[in-house]
Amino acid sequence: MMASGVGEQAHGSVASQFYSNEEETAFDMTTSEKVVELLNQAALISTEEKLIVLKQVQELIINKDPSLLDNFLDEIIAFQTDKSIEVRKFVIGFIEEACKRDNELLLRLIANLNMLMRDESVNVVKKAILTLTQLYKVALQWLVRIKSVSDMQEACWDMMTQIKEDVLALLDSDNDGVRTHAIKFTESLIITLSPRTPDSDTPKKQEGDISLDKIPKDHTYIRYDTLCEEGKSALEQLLKFMVHPAISSINLTTALGSLATLARQRPMFMSEVVQAYETLHANLPPTLAKSQVSSVRKNLKLHLVSVLKHPSSVDFQGQISTLLLDLGMSQSEITRCTPATVQPRKRLHHEPYVEGKRIKMAEDDEDKEEPAPVVTPKPSSSVGTQSAIDLTAEFLLPLLTPDNVANLVLISMVYLPEVMPASFQATYTPVESAGTDAQIKHLARLMATQMTGAGLGPGLELCKARDEEVKEEDGGAGESSSKDPLIIRKLSAVSLGQAISVVGAPAAYKSPITEEAPQIKKLPEPILPTSQAPGASGRKKVFKLADVVQPFSEAQIEKLSNMAIKRILLSEKVIAQSGMSHVRVKLLARLVTQFEGGKKNDLLQFILEDMRGRSELAFSLLYHEYNEYLSQQPSGSLDSYEHCLYTLLSGLQEKPEQRDGLFTKLVLEAPVITDSALEVIQRYCEDESRVYLGMSTLKELILKRPSRQYQYLNVLLNLSSHEKEKVRSTALSFIKRMYEKEHLKDCIEKFALTYMQFMVYVLIFVASPWTEETVRQCLYLYLSLLPLNHRLVHELAAVYTEAIADIKRSVLRVIEQPIRGMGMSSPDLLLLVENCPKGAETLVTRCLHILTDKVPPSPELVERVRDLYHKRVPDVRFLIPVINGLEKNEVIQALPKLIKLNPIVVKEVFNRLLGTQHSEGSSSMSPLTPGELLIALHNIDSSKCDMKSIIKATNLCFGEKNVYTSEVLAVVMQQLMEQTPLPILLMRTVIQSLTMYPRLAGFVMNILARLILKQVWKYPKVWEGFVKCCQRTKPQSYNVLLQLPPPQLASVFERCPEMREPLLQHVHSFTPHQQAHIPASIMAVLEANSRKPEPEPQPELHHPEIIEEREVPVPKHISMPAPVSQAEPPAPTPVEFTEPPPAQQQQIPRREEVEEPMEPVQELTNDFNLQQVEVTEEASQSNSISEKTDEPMEESAARPVDVADQPKEESEDVLPEAGESSVD
Amino acid sequence: MPAHPLRVAVVCSSNQNRSMEAHNILSKRGFDVRSFGTGTHVKLPGPAPDKPNIYDFKTTYEQMYNDLVRKDKELYTQNGILHMLDRNKRIKTQPERFQSCKEQFDLVITCEERVYDQVLEDLNSREQETFQPVHVINVDIQDNHEEATLGAFLICELCQCIQHTDDMENEMDELLQEFEEKSHRPFLHTVCFY
Repeated sequence: MMASGVGEQAHGSVASQFYSNEEETAFDMTTSEKVVELLNQAALISTEEKLIVLKQVQELIINKDPSLLDNFLDEIIAFQTDKSIEVRKFVIGFIEEACKRDNELLLRLIANLNMLMRDESVNVVKKAILTLTQLYKVALQWLVRIKSVSDMQEACWDMMTQIKEDVLALLDSDNDGVRTHAIKFTESLIITLSPRTPDSDTPKKQEGDISLDKIPKDHTYIRYDTLCEEGKSALEQLLKFMVHPAISSINLTTALGSLATLARQRPMFMSEVVQAYETLHANLPPTLAKSQVSSVRKNLKLHLVSVLKHPSSVDFQGQISTLLLDLGMSQSEITRCTPATVQPRKRLHHEPYVEGKRIKMAEDDEDKEEPAPVVTPKPSSSVGTQSAIDLTAEFLLPLLTPDNVANLVLISMVYLPEVMPASFQATYTPVESAGTDAQIKHLARLMATQMTGAGLGPGLELCKARDEEVKEEDGGAGESSSKDPLIIRKLSAVSLGQAISVVGAPAAYKSPITEEAPQIKKLPEPILPTSQAPGASGRKKVFKLADVVQPFSEAQIEKLSNMAIKRILLSEKVIAQSGMSHVRVKLLARLVTQFEGGKKNDLLQFILEDMRGRSELAFSLLYHEYNEYLSQQPSGSLDSYEHCLYTLLSGLQEKPEQRDGLFTKLVLEAPVITDSALEVIQRYCEDESRVYLGMSTLKELILKRPSRQYQYLNVLLNLSSHEKEKVRSTALSFIKRMYEKEHLKDCIEKFALTYMQFMVYVLIFVASPWTEETVRQCLYLYLSLLPLNHRLVHELAAVYTEAIADIKRSVLRVIEQPIRGMGMSSPDLLLLVENCPKGAETLVTRCLHILTDKVPPSPELVERVRDLYHKRVPDVRFLIPVINGLEKNEVIQALPKLIKLNPIVVKEVFNRLLGTQHSEGSSSMSPLTPGELLIALHNIDSSKCDMKSIIKATNLCFGEKNVYTSEVLAVVMQQLMEQTPLPILLMRTVIQSLTMYPRLAGFVMNILARLILKQVWKYPKVWEGFVKCCQRTKPQSYNVLLQLPPPQLASVFERCPEMREPLLQHVHSFTPHQQAHIPASIMAVLEANSRKPEPEPQPELHHPEIIEEREVPVPKHISMPAPVSQAEPPAPTPVEFTEPPPAQQQQIPRREEVEEPMEPVQELTNDFNLQQVEVTEEASQSNSISEKTDEPMEESAARPVDVADQPKEESEDVLPEAGESSVD
Repeated sequence: MPAHPLRVAVVCSSNQNRSMEAHNILSKRGFDVRSFGTGTHVKLPGPAPDKPNIYDFKTTYEQMYNDLVRKDKELYTQNGILHMLDRNKRIKTQPERFQSCKEQFDLVITCEERVYDQVLEDLNSREQETFQPVHVINVDIQDNHEEATLGAFLICELCQCIQHTDDMENEMDELLQEFEEKSHRPFLHTVCFY
């Protein structure tokens, strides 16, 4: 409640409310009594209450009963020494009110105000300034009214003038707020001390205020000219204040506002104001923070608009709107703010700007002596600056050719700061109209402003010369009028100053004014306790250097030295021009190595900004650091050097596109490569784009720094298993080159082997399973060394035997390239084959496969394998890769074992033997011709191999239609037929050949006839096949049948009764002569349904499965050529063929069946599984081919293969039929 | 430390959300505070973004409250407008327009740049009499409930710091710089004169 009361009193007339309350409670008292009572109270109560009471008193004696004012003045003024700031401020307020009420009181109170101006509290001082702003005008007005000024009044005015100067001096105060108030005072002062003109934009409330134009030029004491000069000088001070580089944002804002007020109320200053704005805009103080810059710009815009709105801005519209455009205002907005009267000018926009200027300049030239039309002469100096800028701008304009501007930009690039200053960042607006006349003019003006500010340019010199002339002329004319009052004023000011400081001392002065001075000062005397006086004047101090100068703090020292070094850094170009850059480099390096921390980093940063250009500095710094380290031996630490090297290297490493070998140079020339530096080198090498450069550097290190060469080598070696392909391969190729060096060989080899052995030993520690990738990582280096040093292969075998299956698989996959690189002539490989460590069989097999994949095996290799097979590991699979290198009989010997392997392997074997492998050349090497192979298959001893496998093998042969042409088959049949005893599978092959090549039918008839001669019926299986064959080949076979002896013919009919009738008819169709040749016994068999049993008892079935097998194709073959005529028998078969999928499913278990007994070692399974995986690709390809070709081909051709693949199923289905026919 | 509490004005566009939130908090902390809007009307969210509820500055919070209850109690309860109006009417009767207030302040805090511009324009268009300075600071606050609350606390902290300075005008610049760094937002700051 109290708080808010106090707060509101300042800005309302609430005081009267209290007063009236008070009045009600004490209604009988006179005003005077009330005041006395209140004052008595006020002496005793707390500050807040005191203020309330005092306000009541003020209200009473100023507003209610001014007659009392004089009486109680002293009592109130006594509170100026109160401890409370607020009370003292109240006293100031009271002085203002009192003096406004009764101007005469100024005489008594001015000294008190003067004293309060020097109060120790800034808030009191500020309040005093505010009051003085008002009272200055009051005093001036008051004095102007008085015709004859008394001495006392003169002294009062002199003091006022003195205080005014003091306030102006406060523009340099340490306190921001005080400066702000001083600016506002200056503003008001300038307005008062300049003439109001018709175009002045005066606020209504200040309508009656005094201004220079109201001052009579014939006043006895107040001098018009003096005041005019004072006004100008105040303006100058204000303008000077504004360009101070370290001006605070608030002061700047305040000054901007003041200038706008000046421009509007005193349009005669428009030019100075606009120019000041221009200068400011081009030179925002660098000390401003970013947000302050935006605040200031906002203000600048606001004030520019308000100035622009003033009609007198006509001549400056060009400049103002350029500024506003720069500040981000749109042209349309600017147009809206432009006074309507200038409409025609506005259209030209930029044109009037120049024209206006020219006219103005012409005026300036003419009006040198005469006052400008705006009544007062312009302050000479500001005219000077004004035209100096104009002149310089004019001078610059033609020089701003594109070439020159480009050069200027290039040159100034060097001086740009590292960080964009906030002010620039905020003020930068893209140049919209670059290159246009308007923009060039603007640029010229901007530069002229800068140049004039720096005291340069032809304009300034011209103006100086002109000013001198003006002064001379002025000097002659104005001496008598202006000098006198100036002297008087100064005299009195001095004397007053003394009077104030020496309180109460009556002095005898000569001048009449000095007599009054003590009186002026006497006024506060009764109120002032004597002790107070020194306090007021005690501000003056004796100057002592120690008081002013303080020792720098650590931070300051740091900052200053940093800045010093920075300056040396930035002077790069200048020093380079003078040819002393080596001194600078040395100086910097020396200096910086002596400091810790920040400076080093600054320098390093500086170097890294342009490493190429500053490499000399970099090396110098590095050597100095190292030198520093050496000089501190043995206790010295490398840290600092290391940091330096590390920063430089990583700086280079992180910078993209640095291809000039600077990194290499730095590494190679550094006195010592530290661990951290080595890490950077490694990182550099890991960068794919720079891997080559990085590793070349590393190589150089390894070769040229023998002392730590193993450490560097290790880095390179480590990179050889890097996950990035490019890094790895580059590292490997470098290592390979190193490997040639004898002294490095061991180390590299050891590393490679250690890495490889991880596969066995690290196993225990690695939780995650080995992947192909991890295995590869362990082997990269090793595998790339292998072709260079074949001896290493034995190490692999040693590791391999101990590794787990997963790793083995991966190893087998990755060794292809290097093994092929070694070639089969490698003695070490041959040795490996020869020795074949236990457990490495699969590895050896794999090697063999790799070696013989494309090239036929060499005799040496075949010899080794044969040896191995016969003496140590009798696994037939070893032979497969070299099978084409074996002797014919060896192959035939091995055949039974080979065809028992799983079908895919068998297929491969056959491919090799038949030369149907993808590669060329091997077929020519094959020890067996295709015919020989097929014959060999027929001749396999059934005790060595089951018939199923043989049939499958023959089927594989028949599958190769390209190899087994009709001619080949004919030769095979011929040879088989000539054998004694006949091979069991003979007729099967005959039938199958016939199915494949129906045109062989004639040949087959021939075979059949020859078989009769060989008494084919003695071989039950063959005989069975014979009958089937005849059945299939009727009617051609009729002639053959007729050659059979009668009992055998009867046996045929027994098997196939349906044959008899057609054969009989066939015979009947003969000519009688021909019929006569048919023996009667035959005819008897043909015509009579003899029931003779078979001539010979059927021998026991040795191979029941053969019948099945043989039976299998028969019904099908029968069904196929005559599907229409014989509808009954084929009935069961289609069912079978519609289901190929089950056949494929069955392949898998069956393969295992076959393999099981074969596996000597568990690992082998893995190995062969692996091979299967590889082969299946081929297999699946060929499968798919055969599947495709199946369709167009006669089904019969495809069938045998299919059938062979699914013997069990078929045998079940086909057996009954076969049974029927055989039983009958 | 100044003997009298700071005379603070908090200004937003409609004197509803941001300025009132700050008004609420500042008055609880003992500041001599008033709040204002600078808009020509008082705008409150309506049923759609393009259909705001518009009132003049003479309408009391109570009247607005009743009007909105009548229009769609559900909606305005849900979006918090009623709650806000209810709070506002406990603080003062009706929104006030900054341009119509002739009282003098030490510190004017605005809640967005547009408002700051309007305040500056108004203060600069007034005729200067006493030259008493008034500091105007802009603290950008988005116009929603959450940001208003956060912003109000920031304003309050700022005012407390200013209140505790020995010499407000001398230390203001530095103080604001510190605040900018701390709060990661820029403050526009200027001084005007009555």
